[in-house]
Amino acid sequence: MAESQEPQGSEGQVSEAQIAVHWREEEYYYPPAAFVEQANAKDPAILERFTEDKFPGCFKEYADLISWDEPWHTMLDTSNPPFWKWFVGGRLNASYNCVDRHAEANPDKTAIIFVPELESDDHLEITYAELRRQVNEFAALLRDFLGLSSGDRVTLHMPMVPELPVTMLACARLGVIHSQVFGGFSGTACGHRIADSGSRVLITMDGYYRGGQLADHKVKADEAVAAARQEGQEVDKVLVWRRRAGQYASKTPMAGGRDFFVDDLLSEHSGKTVEPVSMSAEAPLFLMYTSGTTGRPKGCQHSTGGYLAYVAGTSKYYQDIHPGDVYWCMADIGWITGHSYIVYGPLALGTTTVIYEGVPNYPDGGRPWRIAEKLGVNIFHTSPTAIRMLRKVGPEEPKKYDYHFKHMTTVGEPIEPEVWRWYHSEVGKGEAVIVDTWWQTENGGFLGSTLPALQPMKPGSCGPGVLGVYPVIYDEDKKEIPAGSGKAGNICIRNPWPGIFQTIWGQPERFVQTYYAKYNKNPDSKDWRDWPYFAGDGAVQAADGYFRILGRVDDVINVAGHRLGTKEIESAALIVSEVAEAAAVPVIDDIRGRVVEVYVSLKPGFEPGKEMEDKVSKAIETEIGKIARPKNVWIVPDMPKTRSGKIMRRVIASISNFADVGDVTTLANPEIVDSIRHHVQSAKVAKDDVPRELTEAEFEEIKKFGAD
Amino acid sequence: MGMTRQYVAGELSVLLARLQAVTTTETARRDAWSLRRAAETEPIPALGPVTVRALKLTEGLCWESLNRGDTVAFTRQAAVCAELHEFGVCAGLLKET
Repeated sequence: MAESQEPQGSEGQVSEAQIAVHWREEEYYYPPAAFVEQANAKDPAILERFTEDKFPGCFKEYADLISWDEPWHTMLDTSNPPFWKWFVGGRLNASYNCVDRHAEANPDKTAIIFVPELESDDHLEITYAELRRQVNEFAALLRDFLGLSSGDRVTLHMPMVPELPVTMLACARLGVIHSQVFGGFSGTACGHRIADSGSRVLITMDGYYRGGQLADHKVKADEAVAAARQEGQEVDKVLVWRRRAGQYASKTPMAGGRDFFVDDLLSEHSGKTVEPVSMSAEAPLFLMYTSGTTGRPKGCQHSTGGYLAYVAGTSKYYQDIHPGDVYWCMADIGWITGHSYIVYGPLALGTTTVIYEGVPNYPDGGRPWRIAEKLGVNIFHTSPTAIRMLRKVGPEEPKKYDYHFKHMTTVGEPIEPEVWRWYHSEVGKGEAVIVDTWWQTENGGFLGSTLPALQPMKPGSCGPGVLGVYPVIYDEDKKEIPAGSGKAGNICIRNPWPGIFQTIWGQPERFVQTYYAKYNKNPDSKDWRDWPYFAGDGAVQAADGYFRILGRVDDVINVAGHRLGTKEIESAALIVSEVAEAAAVPVIDDIRGRVVEVYVSLKPGFEPGKEMEDKVSKAIETEIGKIARPKNVWIVPDMPKTRSGKIMRRVIASISNFADVGDVTTLANPEIVDSIRHHVQSAKVAKDDVPRELTEAEFEEIKKFGAD
Repeated sequence: MGMTRQYVAGELSVLLARLQAVTTTETARRDAWSLRRAAETEPIPALGPVTVRALKLTEGLCWESLNRGDTVAFTRQAAVCAELHEFGVCAGLLKET
C-alpha cells in the first residue's frame, strides 16, 4: 500500500511538519523476499508476543538469548520508581556471554575482524578462542597488577582497535565498570570524565592512524591526568597499549611508576585464566558519558542483565544478525552505538563483528565498499552524516565493488528521504532492507524502528516503537497527541524496558528531574504507567503509527502552536554573509504564546542598521517560512558567553522578556550584558513593546532556556 | 539527551584539534582550543555556530599565511578548512552554499 499524505497547514502558513523537517510522508518500501525468507523475525506472531498486555513478561524472550548463572525471580521491580530493576535475582557475566560460550561451542569462528586504516596493512582476524585468551590475560593483569575488583571504575580513552573490546570485556569479566571516552576527544574532556567517575586507572594507547597519519594519542593521557587532578581525582596508573608492539608512537615520555606498557606487563600474565565473576543483573556494566553539557558530565549508568538482554534481542530481531553473518557497524565504540552494536550485541549473538580503525573516506570514497567486498560484509550500519559524506565524495563508488548487503541500518539522526534513497539504491543496490533507528545514549538500544521482514520501510520515518516499547507523544499540557493528527510534540516512552539506563552516575536527582519529572503523573506511585520517560526529542506520529523524529524539544520555540527549531532559525540567520553569530530566543506573547527574537553580531567591518535587520529577518522567512519571522532582530556588538565560548541564551532571553538575568559574573564578557540590556529594552520601551510581567512558570522557562 | 548524535561532537572535536595544529599564532591556538572545548561541551544543536566560528578562524589563518607568502602553512590550513566545511555540510551543521 502506498501512502501519500500532504502536510497539514492553514492557507498562507507553513505547516508544522514543513517547518520541522521540510519532508512529507513517503511511500513504503517492502523487503525483498529473499531477506524475509531468512529473517530472524519473519513470523508476525512475534508482534503479538510483545503487545502491551504481555509486558513485562514479553522480555523473557530477550533474556533467553543470554546465559544466566542463576535465573531471575522477578522480571521487573518497580518498588523504587523510576529506578527500575530488571531480572531481579538473576546473575550472569557479560564477558562469559560474549566470549566464553562461543569459544566453547565454536572456537575457530572469527569474532572480530580488525581493519587497519592503512590499506597496506593486512586485516586481522581474531577467533573466539583467541579473544578468550586475550580477555583472560588482560583481566588477570587488571586484577593482579592493578588490584581491580567488581564495582571499581576504569576510564578507557582508546581508538578503534581490537584492544578496546578486549579491554572492555576484561573489565566486564571482573565486574569492573568501564567508562570509554571517545578516542578523538581531548585529554581535558577525558579528565573531566575520569574525575566524575572516580577512576584511579586510565587505559589508553600510544597512537593510532587517522587520515593516513599516525596520531600521538598518549599525549592526551597526560592532559587527562592533569585535568582530573584539578578536580581532585588522582590517577594512580596509566596503562598504555602500543599500536605496534615494541614501538612507541608517542613523543610523550612515560611517567615512571605511573605509566606502563601493556605488552610489557602482559608477558607476566601469559596463559592465565580468570573465572568470570558472577554479577547481579543489576550490577553496572559501564558508564557512557554524553557530551553537550558545560556543567557536570552526565555518566549514563547501564546495567549488566537488562542491557545485555536488550542489545542481544534488538541485534537479533532488528539487525537480523545470524552467527554466520559478517557484520560491520562503522560507528566508533566510544559512543553507545559502538558499545551496543559493535561489541555487546553482536558478540552476545556469536557473530563476526568488523572494527575499522580510520575515517571512512581514507584514502578515497571507495574504501568502505572495498572493505565490504574483501571481508564479505553482509550487514552494514552507519549514520546519515557518514552516508552524506560518502555520497558526496563518491556517489558512483558502491557500484564498482562486488559486495552484497542484506541489511543496512541508519542511526543517530533523521535521514532525509533523498539521502535514504541513495543509500537504498546505490549502497544497498536495491537488495538490502534498511532499518532507520531512533534511540539515545540513555536507552541502551533501539526505541523506534521497523522489524525488517515484517514492517515496511518508509524514508524519513524511523517506524513504530520497537518490540515491547510503547511510545506516546504528549503536548506541553501533558495531553496525548493522537497519531495522524499532524501535530508534533514530545516523544515519551510509556513503559520501562530492559535497556534503559539505571541512573546518572552519582546524580540520581538529576536523573529523575531530567527524564521523568516532566510527565510524571504521581510522584508517590509505584506503577510504571505513571512514569513516562521523557526522551527530549520532538516527533510526529503518522496514522500508520510510524514516528518522524524532529530534533530536541528543548531547543524549540512554540509560536502559535508551531514548533520552531532555534537551530534552524539561527542557521538561517547565519546565511546572511555579514552575520558572525546568531541566537534565537522566545519572548512571551499573550496572543501567540511565544514569539521569536533573534540576536546577531556582525563580522568586523559591517555596520548595524535597519537594512541589516531586514536582511536577517528576510533570510529566516525565506528559509523557514513566515511563521518563523522574528518579532525583532537585535544587532549587538557581541553575545554574552561563557569562558568556553557558549552563547548564554538564557541571558538574552531574560533581557528580551525584561526578566532578571541572574548571575552573570562567571561570563567571559559580563560587561556586554548591560550594554545589550540598555540597547534592547530602551528600544522596546520606545515602541511600547514591553511584555507583561512573567508568571513563575514563564520565568522558569526563560531562566532555563538554552541550558542542558 | 536527544538522539545519539554524540558522534557529531566527537568528529568536530577531532577536526578542531587539527585546526589547532595548523595555527601559527598563540592567539589563534587559544581560539582553536576554545572552539574545541565548546564542541565537546555545547549541546549538539549549538555546534553549527561553533563550526561557523571555526571556519571563520581558519579563513583568517589562510589570509594571514597568504599575506606572509607562507604557502606551506596556507596549504595545510586550507585543507583543514575544506574538511571542516565538508563535514559541517554533511553533518547538517552548515547549509551548503
